[in-house]
Amino acid sequence: MAEEVKKKRLTDIGPHDYNEYLSPVIKKNYGKWAYHEILDPGTMVHVAESGDKIYTVRMGSPRLVSGSFVRDICDIADKYCGGHLRFTTRNNVEFLIEDEKNVSPLKKDLEKMGYNVGGIGNIVANIVHTQGWVHCHTSASDASGVVKSVMDELYEYFIEDKLPSKVRIAFACCLNMCGSVSSSDIAIVGTHRKPPRIDAERLRNLCEIPSTIAACPTNSIRPDTVDGKPGVKVNEETCVFCGSCYTVCPAMPIANAENDGLSIWVGGKVSNARTKPTFSKLAIPFIPNDPPRWPGVVNAVKTILNEYKKGAEPGERVGEWIDRIGWPRFFKLTGFPFTKYHIDDFRLAETTMNYSSHARL
Amino acid sequence: MNDETKKKVEDKILGLVKEYVGKKRFKPIDIVKEMEKEFASEGLTKDDIKAALKDLMDEEKLVYGYAGGSFLTIPENK
Amino acid sequence: MGKKHQTPLLDELKKGKWISFVREMERAAEKSERTEDLLGQVEESYRDKVNHWKHGGMAGVRGYGAGMVGRFSEFPDKYPGIKECHSMRIIPSAGFFYNTDFLRKLADISEKHAGGLLNFHGATGNIQILGMSQAEAEDVFQAVAELGFDLGGSGSDLRTPSCCAGQARCEFANYDTMKICRHLTEEYLDELHRPAFNYKFKFKFSGCANDCVASAARSDLAFIGTWKDKIKINQEEVKNYKKKFDVQKYVLDKCPTKCMWFEGENLVIDDENCVKCMHCINELPKALKAGDERGCSILIGAKAPLVTGPRMGMMLVPFYDVNEDAKNDYEWIKSLISNMWEFWDEYGVSRERIGELIGRVGLNTFLEGIGLEPIPEMVEHPRSNPFIKFTEDED
Repeated sequence: MAEEVKKKRLTDIGPHDYNEYLSPVIKKNYGKWAYHEILDPGTMVHVAESGDKIYTVRMGSPRLVSGSFVRDICDIADKYCGGHLRFTTRNNVEFLIEDEKNVSPLKKDLEKMGYNVGGIGNIVANIVHTQGWVHCHTSASDASGVVKSVMDELYEYFIEDKLPSKVRIAFACCLNMCGSVSSSDIAIVGTHRKPPRIDAERLRNLCEIPSTIAACPTNSIRPDTVDGKPGVKVNEETCVFCGSCYTVCPAMPIANAENDGLSIWVGGKVSNARTKPTFSKLAIPFIPNDPPRWPGVVNAVKTILNEYKKGAEPGERVGEWIDRIGWPRFFKLTGFPFTKYHIDDFRLAETTMNYSSHARL
Repeated sequence: MNDETKKKVEDKILGLVKEYVGKKRFKPIDIVKEMEKEFASEGLTKDDIKAALKDLMDEEKLVYGYAGGSFLTIPENK
Repeated sequence: MGKKHQTPLLDELKKGKWISFVREMERAAEKSERTEDLLGQVEESYRDKVNHWKHGGMAGVRGYGAGMVGRFSEFPDKYPGIKECHSMRIIPSAGFFYNTDFLRKLADISEKHAGGLLNFHGATGNIQILGMSQAEAEDVFQAVAELGFDLGGSGSDLRTPSCCAGQARCEFANYDTMKICRHLTEEYLDELHRPAFNYKFKFKFSGCANDCVASAARSDLAFIGTWKDKIKINQEEVKNYKKKFDVQKYVLDKCPTKCMWFEGENLVIDDENCVKCMHCINELPKALKAGDERGCSILIGAKAPLVTGPRMGMMLVPFYDVNEDAKNDYEWIKSLISNMWEFWDEYGVSRERIGELIGRVGLNTFLEGIGLEPIPEMVEHPRSNPFIKFTEDED
């Protein structure tokens, strides 16, 4: 009997064959697309060498969705797309339409249902983000709530093409940075500001001391004897509050309601177009958590976006704009104070200084 | 690797993990390296040892833990 | 059905035009009651400004060391529905293409056995089902497996590989990203299900240098489409673009190597000096196309900040003829990967990503270890300090 159950159990079946999910036009023209055109911020068309066309309508999604949401988009895809759809890396839904006549009724249906159509071209793209308070134990802030607050404020930039170039915003609720946060036009990152608290007794049962010590990027964790038993101590002078030790050792919690919050980073990009991929740089070291609508973060992002929109040349990404005008002017325009925290003091810090007489005076 | 050798390797692995419970968290690679040393004279390959590990996990004599990185441990109810 | 918990703070996030995750959680709760408790706990986080999940505790299915992330409420008595609130990662269909039949069935599974909440997709690209207990895990796994889907990576393993839409719907794709993504996932299924590495390892596949999956920032091994020969120019279409906008200013002047100019009406490209950045092709898609000798660059070592700081992928192989290697089931790339993993197994330490290992031992040691020669494409510039460690073999 047990043997029979074991036999039936499915395991190691591997990735599903995507070919099953490609619509006929996509299958026919696979690898033979000629060009594409953006028709409006919610619609583009890809044209194949054969002359065949596939229209794409893009819709925003909060990434964390209900089964009912899934059925909503399935209803639309069944009605207009022969049951075919896909998602983008930035968590949008894309409806793939073969018949041009279906494009505008599909969009009308989505709008009627309260969904957001846009995100193509020189827009603010959907914000890539993490789980936050909804589902993560290391988060220094919520993720979905900040994203919702920022996207509500920037909504016009998702549905209309009126920026110099695309702006990719990303959010991570701690320095683990799930998602491509460290190289975004604007990055919002959950930040702790106090050292971990050590629960010596739990530590003895739960944590392996060598790996806890090895988890620290600044060698701030040292072996220690607590009540005659092995433990660890933290050098608070050199601790950078990254939370890496907490990931390895549950007895070193670092979350702190009064002192956790968010930092803002700018000018990163991943694409190789024109300039090389680059990390985002620090704009604001700390903004306190201010749920439910995080006005401090929303205003900071809005300020950056407004200055970028005013100052950048067509086609310039945020980082290219700042490179052209210089960091002093960025801080002047945005009104963000430049502080000691903006000067790097970690590994490779000395590569970031200005070794020249260049200054915009 | 015949069944007899496999059994020997599995017992050795279980013994090692049990001995160090609460002291050291073994990653599979740590165990592979230990067993390679242990059974050097019998010419066992990495893949042999990995196969023994897989058996132990399929039988749930060993389970995975996670603390920043993955490691192998004895199931709590055993 | 009345609300089980009052959520005045979360209710604020139902306002505004952007689609609300709170509304999604409420819709999920209508189908799976336990998600009421999730709303209650998240409301408490909004009030207390701190998360309320316990650290630690495992979840998983038999035989796998990956694919589930354990999550336990700090207040199991108050919120019994999320006492255990684990998530299950599912390998997506490459390029994130689906049909409605599969998605509807998955929605049903999530409501029957979990919290009725899903992520499309997680940060690495898995589908995630949220809110199940350990006791339910096997049923969900088997239900998902019956649809032909398997669990994804987590922990110190090969994380679920991901790719862009590639040749399925993009003219820029220089190779079949979806095919290699699926092939290598299949090939390394054991490494994905049974964590045996020092730490995580990620593959990502982008069809061109626009890098829509952010492979150069997020994956230990990034495959970025490129080409070797001349960009194909349709001069008529160039003329059409010139009528529409200032091609000189917005395309030619932005070229990082200034490798293109006009000779009379004709666009001329010095292809030898082109770095394949994609800018001109992005701007003039009807006029310019990548050449015929297509393949990809391979970049190594990208990672997020923990533990020793973030890294961008660095050039390892400027041109890999992936289209040719596809005919041999990617034999060459598999041997390169196996050399790398052996080196990392041997010399890496716990929680050390391969990029950090290269940083620690030096690129030369790594190249020797995996059998690649140093070439100038690997560096921004040659060394500028004189501390050269000459070795005996130079005599």
